[in-house]
Amino acid sequence: MSAAMLAQVTANGLSLAGLYALVAVGLTLVFGVMRILNFAHGEFVMIGAYLTYWLFALWGVDPLLSFALVLALMALLGALVQVTLVTRVLAAPHLNQILLTFGIAVTLQNLALLLWTGDLRAIKVWYASTALSVAGVSLSLGRTVGILIAATLTVGLYLLLFRTEYGRALRAVAQDPDAALVMGIPIQRVYVLAMAIGAAYAGAAGVVASVSMFTYPLLGFLFGLKAFCVVILGGLGSVFGAVLASLFLGLVESFVGTLIPQGGSWAEAISFIVLLLVLLVRPRGILGLE
Amino acid sequence: MPLLEIESLDVCYDDLQVLWSVSLQVGEGEIGVLLGPNGSGKSTVMNAISGLVRPRGGAIRFRGERIDRLPTHAVIDRGVAHVLERRRVFPLMSVLDNLLLGGFIPRSRPTRAEQLERVLGLFPVLRQRRGQLAGTLSGGEQQMLAVARGLMSRPSLLLVDEPFLGLAPMVARDLLDVLVRLNGEGMTILLVEQNVEMALGMAHRGVVLESGRVAISGSAREVLESNELRQAFLGVV
Repeated sequence: MSAAMLAQVTANGLSLAGLYALVAVGLTLVFGVMRILNFAHGEFVMIGAYLTYWLFALWGVDPLLSFALVLALMALLGALVQVTLVTRVLAAPHLNQILLTFGIAVTLQNLALLLWTGDLRAIKVWYASTALSVAGVSLSLGRTVGILIAATLTVGLYLLLFRTEYGRALRAVAQDPDAALVMGIPIQRVYVLAMAIGAAYAGAAGVVASVSMFTYPLLGFLFGLKAFCVVILGGLGSVFGAVLASLFLGLVESFVGTLIPQGGSWAEAISFIVLLLVLLVRPRGILGLE
Repeated sequence: MPLLEIESLDVCYDDLQVLWSVSLQVGEGEIGVLLGPNGSGKSTVMNAISGLVRPRGGAIRFRGERIDRLPTHAVIDRGVAHVLERRRVFPLMSVLDNLLLGGFIPRSRPTRAEQLERVLGLFPVLRQRRGQLAGTLSGGEQQMLAVARGLMSRPSLLLVDEPFLGLAPMVARDLLDVLVRLNGEGMTILLVEQNVEMALGMAHRGVVLESGRVAISGSAREVLESNELRQAFLGVV
């Protein structure tokens, strides 16, 4: 494999990794803070993609411009889902929690199907097809922007968690909710914040996905599944672990897709094979505790 | 008017009633102590005060205001700090982060830097360990951190649940000195403790719980000299 090829495959892997990271950090954050697995997390990606698509199709708003708006709307949706639904099952058995979030997922999928049909939707923007070539490595401008967005938002989340008052409160709630309560942390508000951030980040992935692939009602299923894979691989509840696992899976998928004959069809399965192998050696995931 | 007044408090966990009409008072500047065997409901009283559990009946007043329907953060904001049983520091955060969280409430934030200095002055060992993860501290250091963290919000009432449990006698002595010193500076303290003599030695008032009911209540001396105490803690006193 030539150096240029190596760089190309790495670049492709990074672009995939960025997308995975955007979805996974929200899922793992919500789990870390509330101990709830949000099975509707992938559907947040799908809604974010549709929002971007319709803003583009109806009013011609460029995804780069609608980006901030979609993030804000998704944060609002996340907060709404938390306040109206998830908050009711926080103390309920895990099975009830799973049923609720799974129910939200199925509802959102079917709502999308009902409202917008099952057609594959694509956004055609000039930068999606314009290639950026540096030293023999070519990556579409759209993908480059996607990587930049993912990197910026991931660093942003790090800064929020480790450099702000509410970030510290979020980490405290994740480690010991009762101790956090007696610190005077309004824990319900922290839950809403976590879910809003999770949905906004999933929405960001939706924006990126709407430009680089097709938008359709089941788009979220694929992302949700992959995000679960990433989150478990990285260690449930660990944001940093999720980022590492995203990089790892993105690169592995990209290399397998290129190196192995007909690797493209293997790439999808490889995440799960890697997951199984890692869990065999380290059941708690890369950075998981206990 | 006592700073803290609890009146016929009933608490249930689902269908199981754990407190039956518990009443107690702690006056401003006093040290009150809650005594009783394991499972007698001492921690539940503390948790009811800070709002971690909702009472089924009765009233809790702080400075004359009902606080038994308030969420925990509102109780803390009114000047109550709760040092939980078994320390409960945030193990994956630095000592400094733990202390800063103690001063999370908006009221205490403007003066947090000052308060941090004061608290580190009370527990010099925490100053050396400020960058270390709290989970890596020794048991005694964790307990000091837990108390220090509680002080960060500048409370007027400090609830401390079994702070001496499992500590080496020397460390326990140090911690006891700090609590007495804080009380000397005017802080009101409600302490849960198993060691009857030690607790009543430092306290102004004592309440002995037995199976969720008040068995004895009065001044520290009255409690110490009561016959019921001798019966309840046969072999201890």
